[in-house]
Amino acid sequence: MAVSGIGPVEPDGDTRPLDPPPDAPHPRSGPSARTTRRHRRTAAATFLALAVLAGGALLHFTRPRPEPPPESRFPSQTTSFRYLYMQVRNTGARSPEFEFTIQALTESDAPVTVLGISQPYAGLSLTSTPATPLRVNGDGSRKIAVTVRVTECGRAPRNAGLPFMDVTLRNTRAKEAHSYILGARYARDLSTALEVACGNRNR
Amino acid sequence: MRQRSLIAITAALAAGALTLTACGSRDDNGGGSDSGNGDTTVVIGVDAPLTGDLSALGLGIKNSVDLATKIANKEKYVEGVTFKIEALDDQGQASVGQQNATKLVANKDVLGVVGPLNSSVGEAMQKVFDTAKLVEVSPANTNPALTQGVNWAKEKERPYKSYFRTATTDAIQGPFAAQYVFNDAKKKKVFVIDDKKTYGAGLAATFTAEFKKLGGQVVGTEHINPESKDFSAVATKVKNSGADVVYYGGEYPQAGPLSKQIKEAGAKIPLVGGDGIYSADFIKLAGAAGAGDLATSVGAPVESLPSAKEFVANYKAEGYKDAYEAYGGYSYDSAWAIIEAVKKVVEDNDGKLPDDARAKVVDAMQDVSFDGVTGQVSFDEFGDATNKQLTVYTVKGGDWATVKSGTFTG
Repeated sequence: MAVSGIGPVEPDGDTRPLDPPPDAPHPRSGPSARTTRRHRRTAAATFLALAVLAGGALLHFTRPRPEPPPESRFPSQTTSFRYLYMQVRNTGARSPEFEFTIQALTESDAPVTVLGISQPYAGLSLTSTPATPLRVNGDGSRKIAVTVRVTECGRAPRNAGLPFMDVTLRNTRAKEAHSYILGARYARDLSTALEVACGNRNR
Repeated sequence: MRQRSLIAITAALAAGALTLTACGSRDDNGGGSDSGNGDTTVVIGVDAPLTGDLSALGLGIKNSVDLATKIANKEKYVEGVTFKIEALDDQGQASVGQQNATKLVANKDVLGVVGPLNSSVGEAMQKVFDTAKLVEVSPANTNPALTQGVNWAKEKERPYKSYFRTATTDAIQGPFAAQYVFNDAKKKKVFVIDDKKTYGAGLAATFTAEFKKLGGQVVGTEHINPESKDFSAVATKVKNSGADVVYYGGEYPQAGPLSKQIKEAGAKIPLVGGDGIYSADFIKLAGAAGAGDLATSVGAPVESLPSAKEFVANYKAEGYKDAYEAYGGYSYDSAWAIIEAVKKVVEDNDGKLPDDARAKVVDAMQDVSFDGVTGQVSFDEFGDATNKQLTVYTVKGGDWATVKSGTFTG
């Protein structure tokens, strides 16, 4: 059991109450004495009540307050995206396209809404399945297929080392634009897909 | 009757007051005192430039480590251990840093070191620490070779087991800047300048490689002498090159005057740099013409992280004269990583430090994981931070303003 480090200072000598001296006058016991006693008791009780009230109020208002709930984090601090795989399709469409799959993960119990997925490169446009806005549950994950349409091969990043994916996120804290750099394997697969998609097309 | 009423009221008030008191009280037995009362003193060394041009960053590092030790002592975070710091000034010089490393190794109470700021200094210290099995955690070194070996671009190989860092590497920072400059800022012709040092030249190289891959054109390259403040000849070359942006690999004492002189030469184009120029002092040195200049820096803006609010408040409460600057949060997390490792070693040894504590701290550091100021703090197989975030800032209204943040998840 813990004990407090500082206690009351021990008094020196005898601390018993002293007896009244033998020649001390006897206390008065008439009606006026009773009134005085009553007044004294009333004053003492009032004083005690006020002191207790003041003490209680002081303790109440200076008591340790419970910690406020932790502020929720920005969505980019709780959400990550992992690149899974690339699928190159030769659809013969006028604008070549390919698809890659990513996994969105949330690391808190608050859900996140993906409002948009884009990339900063001229020559490419993106759509996703499921379409945005899409919700990722708290402490959950969701696969997203991203279809890339190459609108202009000459302005597509054929050999980017760390290509970005730009995402707009929203949670209870904020709406936030954030870039995700999906890593070297994504960069290699993107370059390969662009080579296949564009082939010998005009750069 | 009146007396009885008064006594009843008094009793009721007393009971109420006691109830209020009881409702509001909390068992404070678990609270700590203001200073650690441990039997064992563990020293966390700090190495940073505490004087000279880079001292703004260095003092922010030192103060943040000091704060971490104070918090650990106050909370009695490691039972029986009181933390202290020993801060040494490397003046941004590799040779001084190496001497400091030897001094810190000689102090048997030192179980970990936070620092240094400069990659070139870190390079000079690594072997000294590794031989002594003394853990080193840098909050600011970004050169990839320090953790991934000199051939990191082709084959990664960790050179020193005792070296860790909380900052992201230039293997990501350079390309991150290139992506922003080319795609978002729409700049296609760059003039690249560096200070020939480990950090600056390495960062300029990773930027250049990615900028070229994206289709950008490098219209000129130059090296400057970091001892000089007259860059007028280089500024004229920039003006004549037709560049629409300058990338500088180096630090703010040179970057500020360089930016100013480039604009004075007539090239009204932004200068872009890395975390080495992300300092309030850059803005002072570059002057009004520096508006629109850009810097990337490691991590998300500290002020935007809820986890950092307590750090910012505690830093302010301690009354440090110098700002925590770009690496304050990372320095606090570096120190706390050492504290966590010491805690693990002590707890695994029945509450006492073992004889081979330094080696055990190195081993424990590899598995450290905690919610830090800058987010989740842990290290990968190379000793690099697993939390890889970067932010682009621009000079706006006499201050740095956030432009774009990114996270490496590869």
